[in-house]
Amino acid sequence: MTETKNPLGLSSIPSVSSDGLVPVGRRASLRNYLTALWNRRHFIIAESRAKMSSSTRKNMLGYGWLFFNPLLSVLAYWFIFGFILQTSRGVPNFLGFLVIGVFFFGFTGKCMTGGTGAIRAGASMIKGFQFPRAALPISTVVRNFLDFMPTVLVMTIVLAVVPPLEVITWRVVLVIPVIVLQTLFNVGLACLFARLGHRLPDLTNFMSIVSRFWLYGSGVFFSLEDRLADHPMLQTIMQYNPMHAYLTIVRNSLLYGVDSDPRLWIIGAAWALGLMIVGFLFFWRGEENYGRL
Amino acid sequence: MDDSELQHPNIIAENVQVRYTVNTNDPNYRAKGLRRLTNAVAGRRGQTTVRALRGVNFVAREGEMIGIVGANGSGKSTFLRNVAGVEQPDRGRILVRYQPLLLGVSAALQPALSGSENVRLGCLAMGLSPEEAEDAFDYVVELSALGAAIHRPMGTYSSGMGARLRFAIALAARPKILLIDEALSTGDATFAERSEQAMDKLLADAGTVLLVNHAAKVIQELCTRAVWMHRGEILMNGPAEAVAEKYRWWAWNVAKGKQDVADKLLHDVVSNAVKEEIEILEPELSKNPIPRHASRTAKKKRISTARHAKKLGPRNNTEAGRATYESDNDRQIWPEKLDTPISPARFPALPKPALETKSMTPRLNEGANTLKPAKARVILRAANPNDRASTVAAGDDLTNRRLASRNGNNTVQDSAIQQKSHAGILNVENKLENGRTNRVEDTYQ
Repeated sequence: MTETKNPLGLSSIPSVSSDGLVPVGRRASLRNYLTALWNRRHFIIAESRAKMSSSTRKNMLGYGWLFFNPLLSVLAYWFIFGFILQTSRGVPNFLGFLVIGVFFFGFTGKCMTGGTGAIRAGASMIKGFQFPRAALPISTVVRNFLDFMPTVLVMTIVLAVVPPLEVITWRVVLVIPVIVLQTLFNVGLACLFARLGHRLPDLTNFMSIVSRFWLYGSGVFFSLEDRLADHPMLQTIMQYNPMHAYLTIVRNSLLYGVDSDPRLWIIGAAWALGLMIVGFLFFWRGEENYGRL
Repeated sequence: MDDSELQHPNIIAENVQVRYTVNTNDPNYRAKGLRRLTNAVAGRRGQTTVRALRGVNFVAREGEMIGIVGANGSGKSTFLRNVAGVEQPDRGRILVRYQPLLLGVSAALQPALSGSENVRLGCLAMGLSPEEAEDAFDYVVELSALGAAIHRPMGTYSSGMGARLRFAIALAARPKILLIDEALSTGDATFAERSEQAMDKLLADAGTVLLVNHAAKVIQELCTRAVWMHRGEILMNGPAEAVAEKYRWWAWNVAKGKQDVADKLLHDVVSNAVKEEIEILEPELSKNPIPRHASRTAKKKRISTARHAKKLGPRNNTEAGRATYESDNDRQIWPEKLDTPISPARFPALPKPALETKSMTPRLNEGANTLKPAKARVILRAANPNDRASTVAAGDDLTNRRLASRNGNNTVQDSAIQQKSHAGILNVENKLENGRTNRVEDTYQ
């Protein structure tokens, strides 16, 4: 026994000092993770622009679709709802109501579906490089945000040109904080669904249904307050829907020029900050697993 | 033994185990009962667990270029993915000094983007700032030598061009640990020359390269050491020449359909291979070498009771019983305090480990052992001391000593490594005061 023990009393298994070595690929502490993420901010932007251009480059019009797409959809909605159905459903300026609903909801919806597939889509980057994986869902949101900006521009022009004309007040500026809140909300949403979608690939099938249900539940095509007048409890529940809050504030500020209920602001802000923190932490907790596909 | 004999480890893998649960069509694995029903709904036949890595122990040091050979499905790529930190092993752990960079087979990053845009994207993903990425661009273009093709979409590249660009991007971040998984085999001769130069520079800069390649010849030419993996385990670990030669002989026999010869050879190797063990000295230990931690079997609980006993002061022997025995055991022959530097113990000059004499001069004694694997001086540990199969190195090495030591203790040792460990511990001990700082603090940096 003694001869196989070296003078230090250790068994003579070949020893190596782990001094200066660290476990590889382990989840960093939250502070380090955030620092690393901040250091990759240029990567996030480059990655989102890469996603954008690789999807547009295949088309002949390229970036032009960023403007044509919303413009054509506004035309389509105007033709069906405004011209054929001639319906305003008791909603003043129904076309504006509809357009705002469709575009603002589309931003969140795309972030949700994009986030669900973010890990799978970024598999080659994950395998090749070591970076905080949260960069992938965040770059999805940034990409959709970049897509969304021309849409907002088109929307503003259309609303300004097509009658009935809006009541333009200072409240137009309130759209900016709403977009900020919605973007934060989308970051949390994308992170949340990125981990869920990685764990459960089946979720992609489910997402389209969830997304549609949410679309109708947020009052994109109709006013929730009117439709759910008979179900006060359901109406109260729907009031807590963050998308409903964002849409209502935007419509109030942009279309009708009236003040929004402070409760809506509170709901919107609470959702945005809450989901961003929860979603990000949830994603961060799974950091070590994303390499396994 | 001077310091340079023992390079600092760059990668330590300890008992790495990986298993995957995968679908299978094998009728033997068909599930029964309710499980079968759920499988039918899910559209699969059955599931099985594949043990991709079954306890790999591995150390790679600074300046080493290590080849990994093995049949398809032997766990080479899985091992590299784990070393790169892309996946986490189910058991065991992997320690690295620097963030490794993995070069896989699939080269394209963003196929729709041009090569130059991919360069920028890759550089940013590795954590370079935009300015650094700009500076690195020229280097990448020069190393990859793609010419005007750098501005074309990466999806239009040939596999060799893609691999070249990918390699050049990887080297733009000046990695210290490079893991190459078959990535260079598609490059042409001119690129092989350039990539070798680039890797030599990396090795000279205290880096480490792990190279997976099926051409054993490439391994022999490039590497200092080689590892033969088979079914998730390391069968052989030794000088590149010998291991690659043996692997080549085995593969040749398999290819020629001489299954019996191949099986016999494999059996020889397997029966002589013994799971390599390593002991990792924790940094805390290096800084404060109280032997309580030194013994691997020491449990945390026992340590705490021992401390407690010490606080209580001298105890009655009859009363203490077991605890006294343990605390005696813990105290050992060591001085309690090691604050004052002790002079390093002197040992008789030990012969250079056979492992290193071979590996340090891989190309000098070429020709002597080639094509006759049986004569190659491969250091393998005999599982059974009586079974001195042909693969054990010919008489003049330290086999006898090793076997003698084995009889006394169950831990199977390669005497060469054993000596190394003597030196290693001394080495560590000498460095205790220096307290080398953690070089990799944030793995992302």
